Amino acid sequence: MVDHPTASWDAMQDGKVFYRRQQVYNISNKLPKLDDFVVAGCKYGGPLALMRDTSKMVVIARGSAPVLSRSQIQLYSPAGESLLILSWDQGKVIKFGWTADERLVVLNEEGVYRVYDLQGDYQQYTLGGEATELGVIDAHIHDNGLVAMIGNLNLLEVKGWEGGKPLTLANPGLHEPPSSWTIIPPDFTISRHVEVLLSVDSTIYIVDNLENVDQRISRGPFTHLAASPNGKSLALLSHSGLLWVVSTDFQRSLAEFNTNEVAGVDGPIRQVQWCANDAVIVSWDGLVLLVGPFGDTLQYFYSGSSYVIPELDGVRVIGPDACDFIQKVPASTLSIFKPGSTSPSATLYDAWENFSKRSPKADESIRSIRPDLATAVDECIDAAGQEWEPKWQRRLLNAAKFGRSFLDLHNPNDFVNMGQALKVLNAVRVWDIGIPITYSQYNYTSSTHLVNRLTSRNLHLLALRISTYLSLKPDPVLKHWACVKITKSKPSATGTGRDAELQGDDEVCRSIVEKFSTLGGGSVSYADIAKKAWEVGRLDLATKLLDHEQHASDQVPLLLNMKEDRLALIKAVDSGDTDLVYHVLLHLHKRLPLGNFFRVLEDGGERLAPATRLLQVYAREQNREMLRNFYYSDDRRVESATLLLEEAAVMTDQGAKIDTIKAAQKFLSEDKDRAFEAKMVDENAKLLVLQRQLEKDAEGRIDFFGLSVNETIRTCLVNGMSKKADNVKDAFKVPDKRFWYIKLYALTSIRDFEALDAFAKSKRSPIGYETFVRHLIEKGHSKEATAFVPRCDSNRRVDLYVDCGDWRAAGKECKERGDKAKMEQLRKNCPNSLLARELDQLAAGMK
Amino acid sequence: MAAPSTPNSTKDEQRVHHPSRLEQDEEPGPDLSILKEIGKKALIDSLNSVNGAKTLVLDNSIAGPLGLVTDVSLLKHHGVDKMFWLESGPLTSTTTNVVYLCRPLIRNIKIVADQIKGHARESQKHAYTLILVPRVSTLVKRILEEEGVLGEVNISSYNLQFIPLAEDVVSLENDNAFKEIWVDGDETSIYDSAQALVTLQRLFGPFPRVLGKGNFAFRLSQLLDKESTLLPTNNDPSVAPDKFDSLIILDRRVDMITPLLTQLTYEGLVDELVGIKNSYVELPQSVLAPQTGPGTQPTAGPSSSPNAPGPAGVLISRDKKKKHNLSASTDPLFEELRDLNFSAVGKKLNKVAHRLDEDYKRRHQAKTVAQLKDFVGKLGGLQTEHQSLGLHTRLSEMLVPLTRTTEFNKSLEIQQNLLASYNVANQITAIEDMIAQGAEMQIVLRLLCLASITSGGIKTKILERIKRDFLQAYGYHLLPLLLSLTAPPLCILQPNPLPAPTPYELAASKYPFASLRKSLRLLIDDIDNVEELENDISYVYSGYAPISVRLVQCVAQKGGVLSNPALDKADKPEGEPADGTVDVSSGTTKVQAHPIVGWKGFEDVLASMPGETVDFVPKGLVPTGVVNPGSIVRTSSREQAKTTAVFFLGGCTYTEIAAIRWVAKQNIGRRFLIATTGIISGRSVVERVAGVSPGSGKDASI
Repeated sequence: MVDHPTASWDAMQDGKVFYRRQQVYNISNKLPKLDDFVVAGCKYGGPLALMRDTSKMVVIARGSAPVLSRSQIQLYSPAGESLLILSWDQGKVIKFGWTADERLVVLNEEGVYRVYDLQGDYQQYTLGGEATELGVIDAHIHDNGLVAMIGNLNLLEVKGWEGGKPLTLANPGLHEPPSSWTIIPPDFTISRHVEVLLSVDSTIYIVDNLENVDQRISRGPFTHLAASPNGKSLALLSHSGLLWVVSTDFQRSLAEFNTNEVAGVDGPIRQVQWCANDAVIVSWDGLVLLVGPFGDTLQYFYSGSSYVIPELDGVRVIGPDACDFIQKVPASTLSIFKPGSTSPSATLYDAWENFSKRSPKADESIRSIRPDLATAVDECIDAAGQEWEPKWQRRLLNAAKFGRSFLDLHNPNDFVNMGQALKVLNAVRVWDIGIPITYSQYNYTSSTHLVNRLTSRNLHLLALRISTYLSLKPDPVLKHWACVKITKSKPSATGTGRDAELQGDDEVCRSIVEKFSTLGGGSVSYADIAKKAWEVGRLDLATKLLDHEQHASDQVPLLLNMKEDRLALIKAVDSGDTDLVYHVLLHLHKRLPLGNFFRVLEDGGERLAPATRLLQVYAREQNREMLRNFYYSDDRRVESATLLLEEAAVMTDQGAKIDTIKAAQKFLSEDKDRAFEAKMVDENAKLLVLQRQLEKDAEGRIDFFGLSVNETIRTCLVNGMSKKADNVKDAFKVPDKRFWYIKLYALTSIRDFEALDAFAKSKRSPIGYETFVRHLIEKGHSKEATAFVPRCDSNRRVDLYVDCGDWRAAGKECKERGDKAKMEQLRKNCPNSLLARELDQLAAGMK
Repeated sequence: MAAPSTPNSTKDEQRVHHPSRLEQDEEPGPDLSILKEIGKKALIDSLNSVNGAKTLVLDNSIAGPLGLVTDVSLLKHHGVDKMFWLESGPLTSTTTNVVYLCRPLIRNIKIVADQIKGHARESQKHAYTLILVPRVSTLVKRILEEEGVLGEVNISSYNLQFIPLAEDVVSLENDNAFKEIWVDGDETSIYDSAQALVTLQRLFGPFPRVLGKGNFAFRLSQLLDKESTLLPTNNDPSVAPDKFDSLIILDRRVDMITPLLTQLTYEGLVDELVGIKNSYVELPQSVLAPQTGPGTQPTAGPSSSPNAPGPAGVLISRDKKKKHNLSASTDPLFEELRDLNFSAVGKKLNKVAHRLDEDYKRRHQAKTVAQLKDFVGKLGGLQTEHQSLGLHTRLSEMLVPLTRTTEFNKSLEIQQNLLASYNVANQITAIEDMIAQGAEMQIVLRLLCLASITSGGIKTKILERIKRDFLQAYGYHLLPLLLSLTAPPLCILQPNPLPAPTPYELAASKYPFASLRKSLRLLIDDIDNVEELENDISYVYSGYAPISVRLVQCVAQKGGVLSNPALDKADKPEGEPADGTVDVSSGTTKVQAHPIVGWKGFEDVLASMPGETVDFVPKGLVPTGVVNPGSIVRTSSREQAKTTAVFFLGGCTYTEIAAIRWVAKQNIGRRFLIATTGIISGRSVVERVAGVSPGSGKDASI
């Protein structure tokens, strides 16, 4: 018979609040004596990491638990099973701790840190040069990063576990190491960036990446600092033994408690930790003391030293004999099981008990809580989640089910989900799996997180079954399985020589692909698995697996590593992802001699043309020398010339510009299909030479260099160098028409009407004279325009005169031509009566 | 002067005024505002990842698009202390954090590297964050590495994809896409487009069928097909939104003619003559003032760009300019005007003026307090409308003289003649004359390309003469531009006959314009009355139907390609009164949209055009078994209005948008979502290819 839930309860605050201690696992004699070790416990029911505390002496005695050698870190499951032993061959370990996904981070004094998974595989990163030079003296590791204190007492922050660049936090301005310090992880600060709390003298500094704020407190120094799981409160233990609980902004003092008053303890305080967000745990050897918000306490005794791991809903205590979980009794459980409770849920539970005893009281009880039945049902479901024993889970769910049958409408989702969750939780809580995760923690970390944890323990079958049961994708499990399979399987199972190896590869590849297709791991990344195969030196297997990969972005880097250059380039081009193409190109450019590099592209033909074009885009801006070589080696004369022309366009030095253009001309002249372009570039060079001469003639007062032919002519004309303009016209065979327009515009713009008149008379205008009139009008020289009207077509003259605003002339013109209708029209449209009268007179004169 | 409130005009009013109201009962189309929200949220997240006050250094080409999703106050709110343009030269920053936001172009990254190195020399200490749009690139890392500053910089990305420009238009706002694809051979924007289209599918459901034309359209469709199979399949397909019935991808090379022509719709003409940049138009104060309406405040984020003079600079007298957001959502009048042929704009404005006048007069009729209250309630709306009426009237007044210049009209005339292949030799002479007269470079070049495409090339000797004239007039530095236009894959300026050993690419790119003109009914004759022309998409170019939109019709409104709906109607005895205000889009002529059956009926036309033809059902959607496109087609019914997405790879013009909107109005049961890499015009195409766009720094010698 399992004890009633209340058996583990202890009352606090005069029976208003209850805490409970549940034994999760019995671990008698499974763990070594904890006081000799540095311990780090992983949250969410994760494993323990132990390393010998080198500052302590150890008695080596026969018959005792095997003593770990100094350079080892041993991992235990919460149930006391040994999981793994890591050998540490690097510098002195400063700190180790756990990441959110249950990997162990070990940091040494040289600033090197490794992230180990539960298989003992690791990634190694470093905190950078400064840390190596000055040494790391302490660190705090949280779920998604770490903060390290280095030799000059500056703080470095690393975000994430991908080896990101360390960020230097604001200078705390310390002269000696703080008496203690802690951090609040970014998820729980207002700024969403990590905050570091340093106990310095009597005060506390809060440091983030921007500033260092002195909180101006006088109660320090503190020996222990602990931030609550939600980051809102702090527990501070001063040298004098006073435990002070305060809000993080130091505005509200929440509780004070003198630890010296605790009877029956000796030795120093080992840990100060939070038990959820509303109680603080203080631990000595042999005693774990729970301090509530009003200074009330509960005492839990252990036969030796213990280690407290804070969880988000309580604490896990690893004692010499047992792994316990201490938490505040959840509201729903309290409501049902609190002695004398008359809450609806308690009544419902009572009704169900009566019902199962076939007592008629059941009906009566149900009736009495009818209006609150739905709440009662919900509470029973929730309470089931809070119970550790399957028996009580079942009873509470049964009560809920019983209550549900009296409800017309009740959403069954909660009930079903709870049932599923409990089934999963019970499965992983079994001692040989050893993940004592609570329902709240499970909800917080998600089911995929749990599946990943199982996978990383190589519990593939269980992970897969849970995935299927919860309708999760089996992909991550399968992928992990495949990687393990590759590392574990031997290249040659039977037979000898290369054939056998091939068979072995085929066999493994086939079994992996088969498993994926039958279990529906459609989106498993084969590339990752292939990478694993490549890492363990099984090249053929890697190639085979890679063929199944669909994402080019995953395939390509591995192909490059495997030196399958051409294939990598083809895959990259096919993917259409230009960045991937660049990735390959830049990689190859670095690795191969230039000639070979070009050959890969040239041999690629049409298929690799996009890559070739991208290379040109890149080289045009970043590495023109290479591009020049490339064009040259490929006999691309037009491109070579264009390249030179582009360069010439931005040159300022006249001589260099002319030379560059001449060089471009040479390239073009070598291509017989480019005769026209060659000629044009030649003209361009000639023009520049001419312009240089013109500038010299003008003694540098006028800028010519770089102008177009038209503009050159115009500039000559505007500056009264009409002769030169004619020279340019002749030298570049500018057609008459164009020349006339240029000259017309130029002379008008400098209002040289005399010259314009002379020019108009110089020969018959190839652009007609109406153009003159129109342009002059447009530029506001109507009066001057009039002079050109007589040279226009006779039937246009009247209108042109009108456009010039010369009505009198228009009238005369009409008269001369005897056009009465037009005259009449003029009279009608003319702007004032004075003119009208004159026009009338003219009209009168017409016969 | 139109008589106020005749039955006809009110009817007409309703038609154009509330085009959406007619479709209210249908299922709503994709809600594009979500794209804007996504863009905004991603930006905020990027900014918040850097703690504290920061100096933001912004890439000019991002500023415009960014202005469409956010504004300065939002940036300030998230810790942006100062903003600078990303320009070469030293950067003075007062904050520790420096955030660069730019496209991963080599040019940009080099500036970033230079500035960081500059700070290092002066031993200033800063924390640098480089946010790349739309994604992190290896190239950037490599360049930072080569410049020796990779260790200093935190690199992250800001995935800015489609930005809604109007209720039915989304754009990547990448101005350079056309040049990158067809001149540089850089296919990055194709990949980005595919990614953006995948996002669209995530939001609004998959494309059950993909159609397209053009080699790069084919390339894009391949990528899309591959990406779609990699899309995580939705667990519960019944919940997934299912808005699209197909995607039509057109790459710009398929129809190069349209952007070469002068756009004649209101919005198109504003773009041609004044220039619209990221929905913002820069106008003289005198046009925006005296009243600045609610929509006219420069809310556009970093709008007062110091070094982005609009192309309008040359055209309009230089008084102080301000940016104005041309948006139908804040300016309902603009929604009525934007797609009209410019010749109809004056009339429309007049009508609106009259209506407003009438509305104001109601105040005198208000007898009771309740009536008065009612009027006062409407007053705000009336005033807004009044202001926007003023703005558009002044804007039109500004445009009118620009449309009266000889250059403008000459170029229109040449365009129309070339489209009709009327006396081509004369047109070429006319172009030569324009060069002699010193017409704008881009106009001449557009005409030249148009002549080449429509007539299958220009005689070699003449072409060389014109090119020579061109280079002499506008500068020899444009020679690379001419080479780009001639070279594959663009090939829009060709000699005739082609040079002797014709490369395959050149020969294959020959455009069968003459036969298309007939088979796609591109040219509508007898253009007497523009309003009557609104019976066909060709109204947008006063008598010429853009090929691109005809191709869309080939898929989505087959009847519209074959014959003029207006003519059909004339045959019917109960035809509408032929008084010029024929109510084309009212219920009587609206027909149920036919289901998507691919290019059916136009296979030969498509085959005659250069470039691949695309028509397939994406792999991810084919039920395992027989692939039969015909069987998958869903019939869109009255209850289930479907959206046809049209994607322009390489950009589209406002005119094409207008034309597609016209097509949309003809049917019920089908909407269009126009997606594009950017809004282009002939001017912008030429300028981009020539590399003379503002900011490129080249060609200082012009």
